Amino acid sequence: MGFSRAAVEELSALHTEPDWLRLRRLESFEVFERTALPDTKTDEEWRQVDLKPLSLDALRPFEQPDGTASAEIIPEAAAVLGQRGTSPVAARSERLDGELARQGVFFGPLWAAAQDHRELVEQRLFSAVRADRDKFAALHAALFSGGTFLYVPDGMTLEQPLISQYWASASGSTALPHTLIVAGKGSRFQYVDEFIGPAGVETTLVSGSAEVFLDEGADVGYVAVQRWGTSAWQFANQRFHVGRDARLRMVDLALGGRFARLRVDVIMDGPGGQAELKGLFFGTGEQAFDFRTLQDHIAPHTQSDLLFKGALRDASRSVYVGSVRVEKDARGTSANQANRNLLLSEKARATSEPILEILNNDILRCSHGATVGPVDPEHLFYLTSRGIPGPVAQRMLVEGFLKEVLDRVPVQHVRNLVEQELATRIG
Amino acid sequence: MTDLTREATGTIAESTMTDFEIKNLRVSVEGREILKGISLGISKGQVHAVMGPNGSGKSTLSHTLMGHPNYKVTGGEVLFKGQNILLLPTEQRAKLGLFLALQYPVVVPGITMSNFLRTALNAKRGYDGKDKSKAISPKEFRALLKDEMAVLRMDDSFLPRYVNEGFSGGEKKRAEILQMAILKPEIAILDETDSGLDIDSIKFVSEAVNRMRGPGLGVLIITHYTRVLKFITPDFVHVLVNGEFVLSGGPEVADRLEAKGYSEWVKESPTKEVK
Repeated sequence: MGFSRAAVEELSALHTEPDWLRLRRLESFEVFERTALPDTKTDEEWRQVDLKPLSLDALRPFEQPDGTASAEIIPEAAAVLGQRGTSPVAARSERLDGELARQGVFFGPLWAAAQDHRELVEQRLFSAVRADRDKFAALHAALFSGGTFLYVPDGMTLEQPLISQYWASASGSTALPHTLIVAGKGSRFQYVDEFIGPAGVETTLVSGSAEVFLDEGADVGYVAVQRWGTSAWQFANQRFHVGRDARLRMVDLALGGRFARLRVDVIMDGPGGQAELKGLFFGTGEQAFDFRTLQDHIAPHTQSDLLFKGALRDASRSVYVGSVRVEKDARGTSANQANRNLLLSEKARATSEPILEILNNDILRCSHGATVGPVDPEHLFYLTSRGIPGPVAQRMLVEGFLKEVLDRVPVQHVRNLVEQELATRIG
Repeated sequence: MTDLTREATGTIAESTMTDFEIKNLRVSVEGREILKGISLGISKGQVHAVMGPNGSGKSTLSHTLMGHPNYKVTGGEVLFKGQNILLLPTEQRAKLGLFLALQYPVVVPGITMSNFLRTALNAKRGYDGKDKSKAISPKEFRALLKDEMAVLRMDDSFLPRYVNEGFSGGEKKRAEILQMAILKPEIAILDETDSGLDIDSIKFVSEAVNRMRGPGLGVLIITHYTRVLKFITPDFVHVLVNGEFVLSGGPEVADRLEAKGYSEWVKESPTKEVK
């Protein structure tokens, strides 16, 4: 296959990365080499995954840079960062270099931060999303290509969202963006990761992982919009650390990919922390989604609310496995988990599995619920009894089903583009 | 049965057709026959009440007329505007001018009342998303809603809310009547619109229905209790027991039920709702 030490060295040299980062990439590559592919029969985390159609051999290890990064103009955003594959040029909106930078905000490509903000990056990078988690995580850490670093200093509030757009353009290649966010004490902001493309039929390997650290009292909105192309195999890991009295509002919007796997770990390790976790997916054709979530309550008096909702058309399918863990010191925990799946065709399939592990009995609440089924015939009857034609009623009901999550997206730009995409998918 | 109705209606005795004609309707649910061949003619301008004890087939009648998929028609026909509507999908029955106010209006998350009402109204006006001239203008829509909501003592805060979500029992029923007022059907079925309502809600709902009464509207009130008939006086009352009409007549039939309940036919007696 095209993955080699030489490829890692070459990629690192493209961005003239510091030695510490080059060495870390090489270490991760060793992990990749000595780790077998997950055994989907025996490995609990990989059950229901079919890796057989995935061939790593033909993949190019990264996209050759073409220097054409561009950033969309999004008026509501405080700043937009655009990156294309491994191109070393990252387009930045003007405000980034001026006002925000003066106030101590860093928002830029990860490779640049590795040079300029080593003190913030080195300790944290891949400390949450670890390279030794599995073979794909190791490959991601070895060959991450592009990605974003965001640092917002203590006490700082950004009224407008920061948006990072990553385009992968080469079908048949590997595109592994990584996001690292450090939210200072009491900081408040909203951030969007947008992953786009590539079109094309050749198997493409992608990620789109994120490590997000919320210091005491931080209030952070994180939104990821996954719009990979239809030939993409995604293995992504998001991991959030929610500090004391911090508040995370996360929305994952999954639209693209042939096979799109996303692990979301939310670690409630500061007392009084809160997390609202929303997911939305819409499958068409033979798309497969695979979600594994973990709400890990470690500190006392933390609260997490998770709702993942999706609609599946054609022969698309989804797997949801959600764990809630209440550790032994986590008294006063409140944890909710819900997964709702709307099947829009006879061939569409969804499975949902909750896993609860409760080691402290002094908790406020721990609930879980799952539904899998078609549009409610009573709803359909109600709407058509008012003269609304069947297909229009069906469409309204599907939109309404997804709206509950879509309404929680704090950024208009994202709501618009997802609404548009959903409208074409609902058909 | 049919004869009794015709006799009672008098003026239409000679005519073989009323505006809305249920003929020998038989309906089964999960293999069990619930309606055993009932007939009833409703003309515009009339208010008919179908009364019956629990399990008599009242809800089966209302749902079957509107085309609910759980009810299987095994015989008979329902003629409306020259068509046997039992052969039409629900939406086309609505489009012909039939309306059903549900006994238990469902909560529809994610769809706002105002979107629901506007879409329904536009569908009635023949707007299919293409010819904008057929769609109701926002101004017209607001004006229409304002009047009707005032009668029902509903305020604007209902409009941005999801359909029936968090509505009280009375609010749900009022929202049903609001839909009726907006869609202006020719035949309206009110399925136990009165049950579970406090007296104020019954008054508001009745006031709204009475406002709509007239030569253009035929009403079929389905109810367990005589209470609502004090506010909406029916022209005809039919008693449904065990899937068959056992008595039909004028408003005096309701008085008889008020006094004696359904005890002539079944053990169940109270016709006054115990609250």
